[in-house]
Amino acid sequence: MHEEKIKRLAQLKKSAEGGGGPDKIEAQHTKGKLTARERISLLLDEGSFVEIDKYVVHRGDDPTVKKHYGDGIVSGFGTVNGRQVVVFAYDFTVLGGSLGEMSGKKIAKVMDHAMKIGVPVIGIIDSGGARIQEGVMSLDSYGDIFFRNTQASGVIPQITASIGPCAGGAVYSPAMTDFVIMVENIGQMFVTGPEVVKEVLSQEVSFEDLGGARAHATKSGVAHFVAKNEYDCIDKIKKLLSFIPQNNLEDPPMVESSDDPNRVDSKLASVLPEAPYQPYDIKEIIKSIVDNGDFFEVHELFAENIVVGFARMAGRSVGIVANQPLYLAGALDINSSNKAARFIRFCDAFNIPIVTLVDTPGYLPGADQEHNGIIRHGSKLLFAYCEATVPKITCIVGKAYGGAYIAMGSKNLRADVNYAWPTAEIAVLGPEAAITIIHRKELKSSPDAAAIKKRLAKEYRDKFANPYIAAERGVIDVVIDPMETRPMIIRALEALADKKESRVWKKHGNINL
Amino acid sequence: MEFKIGDLAHLLNAEFVHSLGNDSILIRIDGKDHMLKLLKSGSDEFEFMLDNTFHHVKVMSSSSAEAKLVVDGQPVNVKKHSKLTEVLEKSSGMAGSGGGDRNLTSQIPGRVVSLAAKPGTQVKKGDVVMVLESMKMQVAVKAHKDGSIKEIKVKQGASVARNDILAVIE
Amino acid sequence: MKMSKISSILIANRGEIALRVVRACKELGIKSVAIYSDEDVRAVHVKRADEAFHIGPAAPAESYLNMNKIIETAKAAGVDAIHPGYGFLSENENFASLCEKSGIIFIGPTSKAMEITGDKMKCKEVMKRAKVPTVPGSDGIVEDVEKAADIAHRAGYPVLLKSAFGGGGRGIRLAKDEKQLRQEFEMASAESRAAFGKAALFVEKYLVKIRHIEFQLIRDSHGNGRHLFERECSIQRRHQKLIEISPSPVVDQKTRERVGEIAVRAAAAVDYLNAGTAEFLRDDEGNFYFIEINSRLQVEHPVTELVTGLDLVKLQIAIAQGEEIPFNQQDLRMNGCAMECRINAEDPFYDFAPSVGPVPSCNIPYGPGIRVDTYLYPGCTVSGYYDSLVAKLLAWGRNFDEARRRMKNALDEFQIEGINTTIPLYRTIMDEPNFVKGELSTDYLERYRVMDRMREDAKEEAKKKASAAVAAVLLQSELVKKAKAKGAGAAMQQKQPSRWKHVLR
Repeated sequence: MHEEKIKRLAQLKKSAEGGGGPDKIEAQHTKGKLTARERISLLLDEGSFVEIDKYVVHRGDDPTVKKHYGDGIVSGFGTVNGRQVVVFAYDFTVLGGSLGEMSGKKIAKVMDHAMKIGVPVIGIIDSGGARIQEGVMSLDSYGDIFFRNTQASGVIPQITASIGPCAGGAVYSPAMTDFVIMVENIGQMFVTGPEVVKEVLSQEVSFEDLGGARAHATKSGVAHFVAKNEYDCIDKIKKLLSFIPQNNLEDPPMVESSDDPNRVDSKLASVLPEAPYQPYDIKEIIKSIVDNGDFFEVHELFAENIVVGFARMAGRSVGIVANQPLYLAGALDINSSNKAARFIRFCDAFNIPIVTLVDTPGYLPGADQEHNGIIRHGSKLLFAYCEATVPKITCIVGKAYGGAYIAMGSKNLRADVNYAWPTAEIAVLGPEAAITIIHRKELKSSPDAAAIKKRLAKEYRDKFANPYIAAERGVIDVVIDPMETRPMIIRALEALADKKESRVWKKHGNINL
Repeated sequence: MEFKIGDLAHLLNAEFVHSLGNDSILIRIDGKDHMLKLLKSGSDEFEFMLDNTFHHVKVMSSSSAEAKLVVDGQPVNVKKHSKLTEVLEKSSGMAGSGGGDRNLTSQIPGRVVSLAAKPGTQVKKGDVVMVLESMKMQVAVKAHKDGSIKEIKVKQGASVARNDILAVIE
Repeated sequence: MKMSKISSILIANRGEIALRVVRACKELGIKSVAIYSDEDVRAVHVKRADEAFHIGPAAPAESYLNMNKIIETAKAAGVDAIHPGYGFLSENENFASLCEKSGIIFIGPTSKAMEITGDKMKCKEVMKRAKVPTVPGSDGIVEDVEKAADIAHRAGYPVLLKSAFGGGGRGIRLAKDEKQLRQEFEMASAESRAAFGKAALFVEKYLVKIRHIEFQLIRDSHGNGRHLFERECSIQRRHQKLIEISPSPVVDQKTRERVGEIAVRAAAAVDYLNAGTAEFLRDDEGNFYFIEINSRLQVEHPVTELVTGLDLVKLQIAIAQGEEIPFNQQDLRMNGCAMECRINAEDPFYDFAPSVGPVPSCNIPYGPGIRVDTYLYPGCTVSGYYDSLVAKLLAWGRNFDEARRRMKNALDEFQIEGINTTIPLYRTIMDEPNFVKGELSTDYLERYRVMDRMREDAKEEAKKKASAAVAAVLLQSELVKKAKAKGAGAAMQQKQPSRWKHVLR
């Protein structure tokens, strides 16, 4: 009886799902890009996607702008490996994926929906930018989205996948989300594109060099992950989700671990080279102590002198922060302070315990660092550690000098459990620097300064290059055998599982941005 | 959904039809219905009867694009979304360029016995870059393309696992 | 040699052969003492032996090849004898001599006999004098590559570069022309040095379409020598044996007696003691050429045990005690047919790349006529420090065909999880028409394009398993949706009620 109506719906559905039409889809595929619907189908569990606002069309005044169902955004909710998420994807085949009034409202609607039910938001960006014909209404849309990004920030996880262009003001939305994954050679983000750069500054730079995945992953730190291709991008999103909770009231998901929580590794101590300033890869230690050596590194290519990422220990999701002696000897600087501080604040917002491994000789010296504000940026790391109320466990494996020792999750920043290896060296300054200051007079007046310096440095090292002075004062809770690092950290995590810590109420602090 | 099994040319079209309760589900493969009764499921491992034949499957790895399985002791690779893969292969990502192509990876687990080249050395495809030793066999690792060695990622005596990056050739 | 009862044996080896010797000891009521490196702490031979001593870190040079440490341990354990197994120190005359000097019985030949058999050139000399036919090639060790090229040119390419102290197929390289000879000379020297501590090569003409047929020997201290029939080991890859069969399809009783007699003569020529093997190459015309005597118990000894009913390890111990061999040559009868497949931890689809790691589970086959000598057990680990042989699968039948079918079946049942093995290759060989006919030669794999066949078979298998594979993938995504499956990327659903819902905001 109502067959006509049902048939009509089927036709409209087909039309809506056809995006900008077969030609546009062909063009998208020729560029080696998937369509918005294909991407969503890869991300979400089969059959779980409920699309909303499927039949929304634009209300713009310009009659030459064709009305498409969906208005260039595919949005809705579904499950990823059984967990509810909200997703929106820009549809490049419709009007170049440009954002107008109604498409903006679509995104705002699903974000509101996510806030109501407390689930992560995943945005897939592939957009030519604002829809010029809709004028200020498209800018309005961006504003609405930005506002919701901030409201959601720290409440529900927000992940952005950049699988296409994103230019101008639009880039600020991804910037405010928690994690950005860019697909190599396809994802691009910049505030002003190469043409404008050329016009205004006469600088020639390609799209990829200016705002491609590698540029943002290595230089600006905008991208947390670089995906080799779209499959890899989806896999990374799924892997990331597996470590984080649905919202800030939930604990991160726990899995049954096949890795023995009491596993000791007698080879751990030998990761550190005999000579004190020889580089080694901190990731070897990380991989040994986490479950099944599975470490999901975040911001791998940015500020490589510090390593952050997710892992599991005894099935519990943890955030790892560790100095990397392979780069800049593991010294702290502007970029690494920023990188680690943001990661710590994410973990704190979402109930993920933080495990810190320390081996740093201090802060990177130089006018460059000073004038670019290492003082301001460095303070962020301290602020983040202090602010965090999640369980914090620190283990000093090597050097920990001066302010950097304090900054890396030290006891007084209210870390809960502080371990140290017998190889730990906790001091105000490294031996050479310390000697130069303490024995300045002696060295100035002596004819054989070099030899004396060497002897004094050795004495200093013997006296201070150990964790026991700190342990005697209770600043280190206990010195541990390196091979027991994993079980010791896991036991601390278990003990701290129900940790409660309160802070004085405030609207928000004034972290030195 | 379409699946590509190993190197077989014919793509299998398969989908879940519906659940029959009691751990039984109905699936359709290439238009034909099959009854699957789940006998045992563990982490990444299943035992089931498909029609009247018993099967044991272990999932070695599973990602968006591909699942590596061991079916009744036989390793089988299942590629999902083969049409999408065709599209993606047009963009440089799938062809293995960018980071992937520069990396010379190890085909075997072993120890680095000797390094035959250092950063800056010009190599042609097939030139020996280093020698690995495993299970008492010496295996030469050859450059997978022409270029210059940007980085040697391992030291002499280091242990490497299969698929570890040994060097970067630009 | 006088009689001296052995009441305890230290097994200077690891893996399946160590377990083999432990078993023989248990049968004889002899105390078994095992040694193990860091890698083998949880090995099965360590668990089964009466006592076990830690011998050093993983690297062979510091453990299983560490002569002094082993003798020290043997003395501390107070053992009467040492069984060296195969590989490692089994053909090291210094070690045998060290045992003799320490008053410990070395279960094997005398160091003097080993000195001769260990030096392939010297041995060849002795054989020539004893009128045992040998292969054309260099008369002595070739020190430099120029001399090698010269001899190779005269004998005619292709030639083999062999380590004078090699064995078990190691240190052998093929050179088809002079360019290759020069390349291989270097690598062969290095490998020889790495495996045996010394590098000395000799050149031998490479005979084409040949069969590798060896005779099991046993000789006691009273001068009695016997042969325990032949084994055909033609199917090889890079001079490593893959399959051994007894009887050989091309050896009739007359030939068996003729060549067996030559083998016994060879053993006497070097005054051999205990178990060993005389290796021959048989060309297409039926001529047999002596290659070498392997002065140890070999990997493939179970093949002979299955067709003769004898226990070679127990015989070795008896001879080491000074006893006489308890049977005459005429008393021996061959019964049925036996074959062995060497299961290696290598990926035959990936150029035999070594495969190491934990073996979470394995299903070892059994049934009529099936024997498996292995160190595998569910939960063990295959180490990258030692050779890749993980199991010897043997099948006995009343004739070649029955043995072959039983082997095929057993291969199908043999499942090893966690590592790649060469089982797929053997499954293909068992049904390969030329193998079925007994058409074997040392170039069997290349001649009949067996590797290609193996890949074809794999495709067929994949086809058969396609439906099940697809079903499993569908199953997994269904279960994941219901959050019942655990696994990569899937996180267990929260069982507790959502806090989101209940907290006032």
